[in-house]
Amino acid sequence: MSTPRWSIEQVVALAPTPARYAGAEGLAVPGRWAGLGADDRALWGRCRGSGREPYEAMVDHVELGWRCSCPSRSQPCKHALALLVLWVRGQVPADATPLGVARWLDGRARRPATDPASAGDSAAAPTAEPPEPAGTAEPDPGPEAPPLDLDASRNERLARLLDGLVELDRWLEDRLRTGLSDPALGRYETWDALAARLIDARAGALANRVRRLAGVVGTRPDWHEVVLAELGILHLLAQAGRRVPDLASPLADAVATACGWQVRQSELLAGVPETDTWVVAGRSDTREDRIEVRRVWLRGRRGQWAMVLSFAAYRQALDASLPVGSELTADLHRYPGPSVRALVGSIGEHGPARSTPPPAVDVAGATDEIGRWLAAEPWADRVPVTVRAAATVADGRWVLTDATGSLALAPDAPGLATLVAAGAGSAVDVTVEWTIDGAVPLTVHLPDRDLDIGPVADDSFVSAA
Amino acid sequence: MSISVHWHELVTVALLGTDRRDPPPAPDGAVADIVADSLGDTPAARMLTAIAATTVARRAGVRPGPPAPALAPPPADARPLVTPAAAARWRAIVRDWPVLEDEWLLTVARGGWRLPPDVLVGLLRRHRRDAVRWARAVAVGGPAATWLVEHRPELDRPGRRSAASSVDDPLDELPGLAVAPELVGVLEAGAAAASSALRAVLAAGVVPAQRNVLVNFVARCRPDVLGPLAATLRAAADDLGGPAAGLTHTLADLAVARAAMLTELAAQ
Repeated sequence: MSTPRWSIEQVVALAPTPARYAGAEGLAVPGRWAGLGADDRALWGRCRGSGREPYEAMVDHVELGWRCSCPSRSQPCKHALALLVLWVRGQVPADATPLGVARWLDGRARRPATDPASAGDSAAAPTAEPPEPAGTAEPDPGPEAPPLDLDASRNERLARLLDGLVELDRWLEDRLRTGLSDPALGRYETWDALAARLIDARAGALANRVRRLAGVVGTRPDWHEVVLAELGILHLLAQAGRRVPDLASPLADAVATACGWQVRQSELLAGVPETDTWVVAGRSDTREDRIEVRRVWLRGRRGQWAMVLSFAAYRQALDASLPVGSELTADLHRYPGPSVRALVGSIGEHGPARSTPPPAVDVAGATDEIGRWLAAEPWADRVPVTVRAAATVADGRWVLTDATGSLALAPDAPGLATLVAAGAGSAVDVTVEWTIDGAVPLTVHLPDRDLDIGPVADDSFVSAA
Repeated sequence: MSISVHWHELVTVALLGTDRRDPPPAPDGAVADIVADSLGDTPAARMLTAIAATTVARRAGVRPGPPAPALAPPPADARPLVTPAAAARWRAIVRDWPVLEDEWLLTVARGGWRLPPDVLVGLLRRHRRDAVRWARAVAVGGPAATWLVEHRPELDRPGRRSAASSVDDPLDELPGLAVAPELVGVLEAGAAAASSALRAVLAAGVVPAQRNVLVNFVARCRPDVLGPLAATLRAAADDLGGPAAGLTHTLADLAVARAAMLTELAAQ
């Protein structure tokens, strides 16, 4: 049995800085490498660099560690990261373990588990396992991996997370003390340093939120309000995260997931699945840093929502296996909480090419659904709802309206023109994503077709799926 | 004091910082209770609690705005809607075979079809800087197109209203395309002659520069030869081998796509 490959987001999260990852991407070209190979435990290869001799790089992708002959003092170096990127893309062939790599792995196995160098050949190696963004399932260790003291490992991770949350709250207080007009907020390093610290603390989801916020400062007239509200949500999560051991189970799980607590895919898939017939109600692509994120919203026959996330780095294809308007009977495995996010398990059957659209509510019903969702998960930044309403203009802004009220639409939503054309002044069924900027139309459900109008990834960034 | 007013007070103080301005008192109610229960011992910590509680209250308390008057609809259009398969074909053509797009739209016009909303928006957006094709999209789009451009000006052609020139008949003949000289004579020929001539050109060897004129031939030959032409090309590809085989398969794919396009848009 082979070890599952990482996701590209895990590699990104491992990079000490965005610049280091960008440098690695430039090296992640098979033509620059010789002797590439991989097995269930390690990756290896020789990369042509600026020196006369190629750099020998190897990565232990199970018991995270790396080694490279390059002179870089920053760990992991761009060669180790590039090796991981190539592997994630499927560009590292399986091969027998070379003697040098086997010796290195053997040496690592002999070191005490508490030795910091056990994470790599450098004591500066920051982690003992791949860090990941929010709620991402981590790959399972291979069968050859030595047994771990799971309780000790979990306690160590929890302690790091709690330390990170304390630091986050201290940082937030500093921002409030000096004010949002502090010029430091306009510098990316201010945010990036905190994000890096949160990644160290295994709070990848919070690190993502912090990095997103860095991109908001100064970019819109109301950025102060947007940033302030998000600082409030970060404080909420920092406080709730520190109380996780005292919270009731579903809420504790939801908070931990929102902070970035990792769960193993095998644990998720081993749980009791939620089996239903699911309609693919909407799709939305967003760029987050150097990753394109695809959210696919599923609606079960029993009315429950679920979301399947997928990711693509530069030139990778996004998952196109769940086309909007189709339906499938499948097992979904939700993240702890129970979260709206889920993995698709076994698929029983794909339904007809065109499904029965999800049931729509009126505008008042839609705001009720959104409000209930946000009351349960105040940190949610997107909430799906299917509403029957007409697109129109009120006070210079596009809204969805009916006799029960109106719901603001996001002004920059790319699907707005198609929504207006589809309705032509009348009500249509439309699945939207609520965001702080307004509702983003994702799908117009017409009697004979579903129009996928959600934001689409830039095709110069991702390859055609 | 409402939550909304309190929020604006929080924003004002947050801009200046709590080192320079005291946090505002929370309005009586849940937010004030939460701030009172918070463990924060500094003004900044207490204000963070107020910001978090107020943000949650504002978001979870989202209420609909007042109903708004609906837009006046465009004049009715009784034409049948282009089928989902034909609309999907347009998206594939735009991606893979843009040489067929003019014919697709003119065939829609001649068949008396109405454009679906996503295709109409896609055409207007795609051809904003092409006077003829934009005008063609508006003409085929009918009253819905004019109505839509009024409401979504970003779909309008830049400078259209001030431009002196206008397009006389956007639904005029299909524009001509440069075709390989050896094939000009068989553009209107039957299946046997067209297939034979194209195969002869391919067998003589083609350079990359010839690709476009061969593609243009398949895009403009008689529709009834497309099926036999595709079959002949598939068979020839195996004999030709080498780089010509790849181009031959490509031309066969184009012939199949064009034949399917015309079938989907056959008159109702």
